[in-house]
Amino acid sequence: MKNRTITLSNGKTVEQPRSHKLAVCILLLAALALSVRVTGFQMSVLIRGGYRFFDILKQMVPPDIDYLDHVWGPLFDTIKMSILGSAAGAVLAVPFSVLASSNIVKNRGIIGAVRIFYSIVRTLPTLVTALIATYIFGLGTFAGTIAIGVFTFSYVGKLLYEQIETVDMGAYEAMEALGADRFHAFLYSVVPQILPGYISNCLFCFEGNVRYAAILGYVGAGGLGLIINEKVGWREYDKVGMILVTLFGAVVIIEFISHQIRKRLT
Amino acid sequence: MIRFEQVSKIYSNGVKGLDNVTLDIEQGEFVAIIGLSGAGKSTLLRSINRMHGITGGSLTVDGVDVTKLKGKELRKFRRKIGMIFQSFNLITRTTVINNVLTSRVPDLPWWRSLLGIYRKEDKIAALEALDKVGILDKAYSRVDQLSGGQQQRVALARTLAQNPSIILADEPVAALDPVTAKQVMDDFRHINREMKITVIINIHHVDLALDYADRVIGIRAGKIVYDGPASQVDEKVLSSIYNGQEYGKMEAVQ
Repeated sequence: MKNRTITLSNGKTVEQPRSHKLAVCILLLAALALSVRVTGFQMSVLIRGGYRFFDILKQMVPPDIDYLDHVWGPLFDTIKMSILGSAAGAVLAVPFSVLASSNIVKNRGIIGAVRIFYSIVRTLPTLVTALIATYIFGLGTFAGTIAIGVFTFSYVGKLLYEQIETVDMGAYEAMEALGADRFHAFLYSVVPQILPGYISNCLFCFEGNVRYAAILGYVGAGGLGLIINEKVGWREYDKVGMILVTLFGAVVIIEFISHQIRKRLT
Repeated sequence: MIRFEQVSKIYSNGVKGLDNVTLDIEQGEFVAIIGLSGAGKSTLLRSINRMHGITGGSLTVDGVDVTKLKGKELRKFRRKIGMIFQSFNLITRTTVINNVLTSRVPDLPWWRSLLGIYRKEDKIAALEALDKVGILDKAYSRVDQLSGGQQQRVALARTLAQNPSIILADEPVAALDPVTAKQVMDDFRHINREMKITVIINIHHVDLALDYADRVIGIRAGKIVYDGPASQVDEKVLSSIYNGQEYGKMEAVQ
């Protein structure tokens, strides 16, 4: 394809590079068509069966208010798992992320090993981690806490080392020049720069963890998932409705508080 | 006294940073190092506190062989040498006094340095350092709210709070406007004269170098091509330092 040439009144010419917009649109459409074919998506199935989804939704309304008393326990289990797991994972990620930062550690082998470790841990779906944890630690919230902790570790850890690498190393250099060792140079020059972002990432991860924790009960790792699984099995959709409404309320409150804190951090 | 004896520095890519440099700098001197970018000014300056290592010759500061220092000894040695940077190298999201206090960290007991709890004497030393550079009223402002000149003064105060006998300044005014640059240079002169601290400055502005320094060292391709009083620097000298190329501030030498 040729570039378009624009000529000015004084005879100077500027070549305008071709836009790739059209080609990109065609590629995207082709990819969409391909994915419809690969996944076996059929509009007719959606139209024929889709209404049943709303049937179930309709049965959830009105939720069974009396069931609320049985929801509190598992709800607090869920929140407890999220808080403990998030805190443990986030703290554990700190030393690993320092070791994965190329501006702090000069040994490429260490950096590479820690990063691969992070990638492997991050690939593990939380539900699978929870399932394995229930085999090791038995059914209950402890297994869920471990699963949330492992996920938080890999998620916060990756964000943290990327953040450490974008830090301005000038203050670190200054600390070294005035006779501080590397630990103190890091503590006094890098930590102040990364702390707000780190806390913000931890809170953001925690928000998501409350929602993840709610389904971990499906594999026996405690919390709301346990009773959701049970009530869906019994087709007691009004009780499922009550659980979902409570979870929604809890998530909204937690996200509101977390958002307010994060706003003040940046 | 700082003594370079046939010091050389060859980088791993074969580039000669310093080429057979021999010079003495007495306590209390005000020295400006001038030369083109890449001539070795930074290497020369940074070899004094071992921020850069040298590959040949001997370098002593007050009789201490700098090349032999390592670990704890090196850190202790650096305590008496202050350093000032072109981009200030401050922690911008915290207060001025917290920045100045960081220079006291290596002398704190370990539990204080871990928690960042300073002694009263540290705070007084930090505030006195801020007073010396005239920004005591900014002590509890955040650094990122200050102008460039004020930030360089915070960096100066940080250095003064460690009671150095030598201050190394690597392009300290390159990021500042001409008026602010003069003010910061005045601070250096003041510190040099009142406190008898040796000041060694890398600088691109020839006019400032000649106005403020007592002694000028001209460096070209790692070699010292001029070393003498600022008053004897003339056009011929400058042309030899700057490879016969134009050196910006001609009016300074009139």
